[in-house]
Amino acid sequence: MKTGVREQMANFLLKYGVITALLILVVLFSLTTEAFFTVDNLFDILRAVSILTIVAIGVTFSVVVNGIDVSVGAVTGLAVILSTALMVIWQFPWYWAVVICLLAGAVIGLLNSFLILKLRIPDLLATLGTLYLVQGLQMWITKGDAVYKGMTNPWSPTREIAKGFVPKSFLMLGQGYVLRFGNFRGVPVPVLVMLIVALVAWFLLEYTRFGRAFYAVGGNAEAARLAGIPVKRYRTMAYVISALLATLGGLVLASRIGSGAVKAGDPYLLDAVASTYFGFAVLGVRRPNVWGTVLGAIFVGVMLNGLTMLNVPWYIQDVVKGLVLISALGVSFAIRKESR
Amino acid sequence: MGAGQTCPRFNMAVLQGKSLRKTFPGVVALDDVDIQLSSGRVHALVGANGAGKSTLVKILTGYYEHYEGQVFIDGRPVSLRSPMNAFSNGIEVVHQEVDIELVPSLTVAENLYLEAFATGHSGTVVRSRQLRKKASEDLARIGFPLPVDAKVDELPLHEKQRLVIARALLRNVKFLILDEPTASLSLLEADKLFDLVEDLKNRDVGILYISQRLDEVARVADEVTVLRNGKVVAHFDFVPQLEEIVEAMLDSPQEELFPKKEKRDFGDVVLKVEGLKWRNRVKGVDFSVRRGEILAITGLTGAGKTETLKLIFGALKPDSGEVFLEGRKLKIREPFDAIKMGIYLTPEERRKEGLILDKPARENISLPFLKKLSRSLGVISKTQEVQYAKRSAEKVRLTPMDVERQAQYFSGGNQQKIVVGRWLSGNPKVLLMDEPTQGVDIGAKREIYQLITEIARNSAVVIATSEINEAVGIGDRILVMRDGKVVYEVDRSEANTQELLSYAAGVKS
Ligand SMILES: Nc1ncnc2c1ncn2[C@@H]1O[C@H](COP(=O)(O)OP(=O)(O)OP(=O)(O)O)[C@@H](O)[C@H]1O
Ligand SMILES: [Mg+2]
Repeated sequence: MKTGVREQMANFLLKYGVITALLILVVLFSLTTEAFFTVDNLFDILRAVSILTIVAIGVTFSVVVNGIDVSVGAVTGLAVILSTALMVIWQFPWYWAVVICLLAGAVIGLLNSFLILKLRIPDLLATLGTLYLVQGLQMWITKGDAVYKGMTNPWSPTREIAKGFVPKSFLMLGQGYVLRFGNFRGVPVPVLVMLIVALVAWFLLEYTRFGRAFYAVGGNAEAARLAGIPVKRYRTMAYVISALLATLGGLVLASRIGSGAVKAGDPYLLDAVASTYFGFAVLGVRRPNVWGTVLGAIFVGVMLNGLTMLNVPWYIQDVVKGLVLISALGVSFAIRKESR
Repeated sequence: MGAGQTCPRFNMAVLQGKSLRKTFPGVVALDDVDIQLSSGRVHALVGANGAGKSTLVKILTGYYEHYEGQVFIDGRPVSLRSPMNAFSNGIEVVHQEVDIELVPSLTVAENLYLEAFATGHSGTVVRSRQLRKKASEDLARIGFPLPVDAKVDELPLHEKQRLVIARALLRNVKFLILDEPTASLSLLEADKLFDLVEDLKNRDVGILYISQRLDEVARVADEVTVLRNGKVVAHFDFVPQLEEIVEAMLDSPQEELFPKKEKRDFGDVVLKVEGLKWRNRVKGVDFSVRRGEILAITGLTGAGKTETLKLIFGALKPDSGEVFLEGRKLKIREPFDAIKMGIYLTPEERRKEGLILDKPARENISLPFLKKLSRSLGVISKTQEVQYAKRSAEKVRLTPMDVERQAQYFSGGNQQKIVVGRWLSGNPKVLLMDEPTQGVDIGAKREIYQLITEIARNSAVVIATSEINEAVGIGDRILVMRDGKVVYEVDRSEANTQELLSYAAGVKS
């Protein structure tokens, strides 16, 4: 066993690379900043990554079936504008706003799968088209305006003031806490939502035959079809799930900011894709997986949080982010070469 | 030592592998193996599935970077650590899984000169018109017509193989390794290959020939090496009796390959096919199969056997024609529907159509039956799944018997066993099998025939095979297809190999 030590090192890095990197980041930041290592700050981080995680889990589904959904950022943004606009401009009750947004999300998912399965447009291009389309819709809803209480209704010929508002019940979703007692501030609702989504998705993908089928479709679609898996149905489901989770992320986001900013969902696309691919490497599983994605999203979140706390100027943050991502991914993927 | 001086012939060359050893986590695939190839001689390498044949081939062709032992050419040590090393030493190979050395998205012509692109010998600008012309000319020169403009992923398996052989011939090949080249060829096509091998011998090429079809070995080989569990267990400087080879391979005496057939009565018609048509590949096929009956469909590759089975199974959409199951007309749109109704198919191309390579054998075996192996909410019962997988794996004698190992790490024949095995534990009404024993060793073949015969007690079985011997050995009734049509039908008791062959080839019709 000449190569023993080297191989063991490689195996270790492969398995625990991302986790190690995450720990190093946490320790580094907590050494240099005081606030970093408190429970409250921990939940703040989790809350900060909750939306990203939800969106990223959706992307994970599309990657599991060997595709990719890049329309998620736009869908998230659409949900932000649509939900707030429904409540503020058109005075819908909040629950109808939620239902309509989810329906819109499902339709977008179906549109993606129509483009991919029926028109046979490659996944990346099809969802790229949807990205533009949805972004356009997002602008159109308010004629490009942001949505806030007391705004002028862009659709009113007399330019009246919109009478609706975003109610407290809706704000709970992004700003509320549950399980508070004593000194403990409670668990932020978005974190709870994130955990539920992650648990359900993880269970579905790892323990059920549906999850097995998703992976089979991604692994070898023709073999899966000949084994009796309804491949098209599963690919459709993956894109619908992806769009629905992006919508959910958008609803949480809208609730958190309490108003509708245009293009608020855009940054989530790249972070979500990065988290998903990051997740490949976690624990050396070498396939898209839910816990990997969650850890990937936390990693990205921690990095952002830490950088801000370190007072790294905003204009350098992306460079640092890029460098960290590349090195972490590089380590994970470079050593995965087959034993030849 | 100047090997060139002692040799009477100008191009005489010798390739020697000494003490070759290769391990994978948990397996010694090759253990202290010596092998020698000489110009103008055919050296046959035989062994059961998983014996290490392909591993040896991969070493000799520079596929592995790490292994122990040394390779010599004409007594000089050479380094074979990358495919480039192998090319430059004149070693060419046709792998068992031909796909791995072709670029599916490129055309035949482009694949022919792939190496020239890689080395830059072709210049930087690739002119496709010239390339095509050159390809046609070169192929005509070596007598190997192929559709130069076709994309490789559209070619059937046997044409891909011809392409790889043609490519080897166009390069300056000194040693050619053929890893199960005839596994997917029919008798006539195999004949052409043997002529080619003869021709190559005369051109002083040294050949390593690997096959599970021992009658072929007797026909082409000058010497024989037998591998078992990664070790050389026998070497013959001549071709011995086949029984001797089998005994060395399996470490047990040879037994009758095909199960004995008692004359029995069949049940009702289970599967009936009427006027099946698909493009220009299937031109109106009718037949019916009864419960308890095994129908063997034989014919050359490209005769439409595979397509016929796929049409019944819903993997292809028929242009016209009907399928009846137990008298009821079926509406099958996808394999999903077929499986629900109890019609199973084992596909021909295991890597492309049968396996999810990076998943363990267990998951590959259980995939079609997950519903049965799940509890409420679709939660898979792991214990049931493992049991099921193990039972199937044992039935086909999977080696190593490890259902948690990824499909891609099994040897070619064992991959085939996974694909076939997974359907054998089910309870089909109709079992369709496309080349079920392709690349499977003779011990496991017996096992599979036995299983098929058992299944046929309660089901109708249709087997498509290009091996006429197999058709006659296992089929109760034999159909011959040619050019998309059934041209001959005969009961097993009256079947005659020569007769079948002449119908398949179109000498008779
Ligand atoms: N990449 C790999 N990782 C792990 N094990 C491997 C790998 N490749 C081959 N093996 C194992 O090495 C052994 C020899 O395999 P090999 O492919 O050489 O068999 P073979 O003689 O060619 O069999 P067949 O007739 O089925 O093609 C088998 O036990 C196989 O499972
Ligand atoms: Mg092999």
